[in-house]
Amino acid sequence: MKKKIVISGMGVVTPIGDSVESFWTSNLQGISGLRLEDRMDLSALPCGWVSATVPEETKKVIKARWGDSNQAWGDILMHTAVSQALDDAQFKGGLKRPAGLMWARVWPGPSGSFPQDYVDFMKSAGERYLTAGNEPGDVVAYLREKQEEERLEASDLSAFPTELSAKLGVPLVASRLDATCSGGLRCLIEASRLLQMGKADFVVVAAVVSRSNHYTLSQYAQLMALSRWRGPAAQASMPFDKRRTGMVINESAGALILETEEHARARGVKQHYAELGGWGLAIDTVHLTAPRVDMVERVMRTALEQSGLAPNQIDTVNAHGTSTRLNDVTEAKALHRVFGEHMQTVDVCAVKSLTGHGSAASGILETVIASLSLCRGIIPPVTTCTEPDPECNVRTSLTPIHRPVANVLKNSFGFGGQYASIVFRRPESARP
Amino acid sequence: MRCMNQEDGKLDKVAITGIGMISSAGIGTEPVLGAMTSGTHFFNRQAEKKRSLHPKFPWPEASLEQPDVPWPAGAAWADIKKYANQAAHQAVAVSRMAMEVSGAAASDQAALRCGAVVASGSRTDELSPLIGKLGAMAQTDPRPLAKLLYDEVPDYSYLRGIPCQSGQFICLAAGFLGSNVAVYGEAGASGLGSLAFALRLVQSGELDRVIVTAVGIPLPPPMLVAFDRHDPLGLEARPGRGPFDVNRGGTLLGHAAVAVVIERDDIAKERGAPRLANLLACEAVNATGRNIALDMATRMVLEQSARQPDFWWAHGAGSIAMDLTECEAVHPLVKAPATSSKGTIGNTFESAGLVDLALAVEALKSKQVPPIGLLETPDPALGDVDFVMKKARQLRATSNAALITALDPRVASAGAAIIADIGE
Repeated sequence: MKKKIVISGMGVVTPIGDSVESFWTSNLQGISGLRLEDRMDLSALPCGWVSATVPEETKKVIKARWGDSNQAWGDILMHTAVSQALDDAQFKGGLKRPAGLMWARVWPGPSGSFPQDYVDFMKSAGERYLTAGNEPGDVVAYLREKQEEERLEASDLSAFPTELSAKLGVPLVASRLDATCSGGLRCLIEASRLLQMGKADFVVVAAVVSRSNHYTLSQYAQLMALSRWRGPAAQASMPFDKRRTGMVINESAGALILETEEHARARGVKQHYAELGGWGLAIDTVHLTAPRVDMVERVMRTALEQSGLAPNQIDTVNAHGTSTRLNDVTEAKALHRVFGEHMQTVDVCAVKSLTGHGSAASGILETVIASLSLCRGIIPPVTTCTEPDPECNVRTSLTPIHRPVANVLKNSFGFGGQYASIVFRRPESARP
Repeated sequence: MRCMNQEDGKLDKVAITGIGMISSAGIGTEPVLGAMTSGTHFFNRQAEKKRSLHPKFPWPEASLEQPDVPWPAGAAWADIKKYANQAAHQAVAVSRMAMEVSGAAASDQAALRCGAVVASGSRTDELSPLIGKLGAMAQTDPRPLAKLLYDEVPDYSYLRGIPCQSGQFICLAAGFLGSNVAVYGEAGASGLGSLAFALRLVQSGELDRVIVTAVGIPLPPPMLVAFDRHDPLGLEARPGRGPFDVNRGGTLLGHAAVAVVIERDDIAKERGAPRLANLLACEAVNATGRNIALDMATRMVLEQSARQPDFWWAHGAGSIAMDLTECEAVHPLVKAPATSSKGTIGNTFESAGLVDLALAVEALKSKQVPPIGLLETPDPALGDVDFVMKKARQLRATSNAALITALDPRVASAGAAIIADIGE
């Protein structure tokens, strides 16, 4: 790698914090965003009764700030996170070339985490069916008379890149990506590629997920991927704990500003959150949903090799840690293969223990935590891992760990055989 | 990580080593080029006419003759068929065609350096027709809505709708193990966004070979109605209603699937792969306006390739607004004969840019640019663009480069690519 790529700004909206500082504090204090999802009747589902959504108070503030808008809620969340990140990066305009945008918006559906919106959508769709049936010609004729439902489905197409282009004052080399739950990390990697290739000097990375509604929960329940924990909701996501039963669906948005160190310096920004190291990517063609140890091992080894680091130079692993039976043990086995005896000294962080799983957005939120660990020398606890799974045998802590952190390895995996791993280094001049 | 040739800092040369296509004209690029040359079109001519011949469906469509393409044989493929929707079937079919041309990875090690990029729309081809029925059921069904959806939505429907899922199947078919990602429509530039993304993967040294696949399936009625309100769709497919015509009435709908394999030229040469053309540059840009996006994308590829194209394969949507935007953005930069496929096979949306690139590769090889279907009288408002009309235009023997442009409906994004003869 020839150019130093740095993270110069960060922004988040999460169930446990609507700013980077509040999110960090919640992580250190073990404050959970998981709640019993009592806004809809999920009692007949075999799993998935808990979710982690952005608190109503936070939503009210965002909505008030945003005003009356036709934009999809996911786009509003993403704009909120991006605005934070741009402010944090001390961005004041003046870009002289096209900027980059790598983004992921999970759940291109007719509502976000607003169950009543989904009920209304289904009611509207039902009325359409009862009136016009399913014959496309009749549906078209019906929809031409109506406005509402088409607006909802058409909102799948996002104007986010156009709006961001206006905000930054330059055109964008942009890609909206889907790499399932590794999508956030993939966006980060592709942003780095744009910078390395000189296609841009300044790249916005953003991801959002907002889908805690009847449809998404029912479909993940079909897959039996969600937590079946019957105890306190805050304990429902417990990566690497022997009682884990599945993941918790989350609502969140995250944004990062990536630029070449040279570009940041030219803007007068000299302190950064992290420097990007190497990465590993892989596609598995053996299984659709189940992770495989050798694939996880492969992407981690590639990330280390591309970074020029030996395993014993990694201080902490920011794990994918979904709290599903299979993911956590698979990730843990691969970690043991790669790190060997060094695993006894590697502290493992699993942010999803408090936030639940935000699919592509998770990769961004967890990068925020990994970056702050580098800057501040603190690794957040995994407070829900109170009965560590001996089969996983990874080193988690119930309290924050204070230690110098020079290098973090971050993992993200996803359905469809998606695997990504990346190394973050402590920048020469870290943000306080 | 290797990023560009270490010695001179130049980006690797990239070859196109495989193309697969299914369109309303049939299999491959030849039937489309033949139809364009002979003035034939494929609107409302297919056996699958459920939508387009319905009295209340207002828009003619160029549909696939056989939208249900066969799934590969064998136990492994049978096991995973349940995860594949119609678009995935077509994606796999065209990918296998392209791989037949390009050839398999030479070794497991080589396979690790090969991957897939899928151009995807923000929609599913399965849930849209189902959701109305379920919504009606929910009005009287005693089950809570979540339980009803749990029971009634077909198994694995959610997984089938994941945009990058097709890419996993494509990698299985191709034997690729490097990486897989989907690039959505908002910045997709009708598939050229995916190609630009893939080109970066190769030029940065991440991968040696990438298969880029796009499927333009029938759009669901709500999206068509939304598109139509934003920019009217074409109501008639007859002479004088084609792209760039003064009497054009809007984009004519089409369906197609296409796969294009790109590869580091030196590796393709080394393994004896057929090198169909070089991909000199490809960029997709989002901006506050489509004209700005297309102007920027075109300038970028012209600068990167350092080449003035010998012909321009335009998007030519047939929309009053988009054709004007396209000519205003590109014509000041490029003076070359222009053609478009939309008057013959319609606008295939996610796949349109890749379809046109595949057609341009063949046109470049034959040194013959086919005429624009359904174009009778060029719109004077578009300026003095040299549209290829009525009969094919023979290029000079020395002609060696083509520009391909593409635009997205509803969003301000555009793409451009420059291809050149392999001899270059």
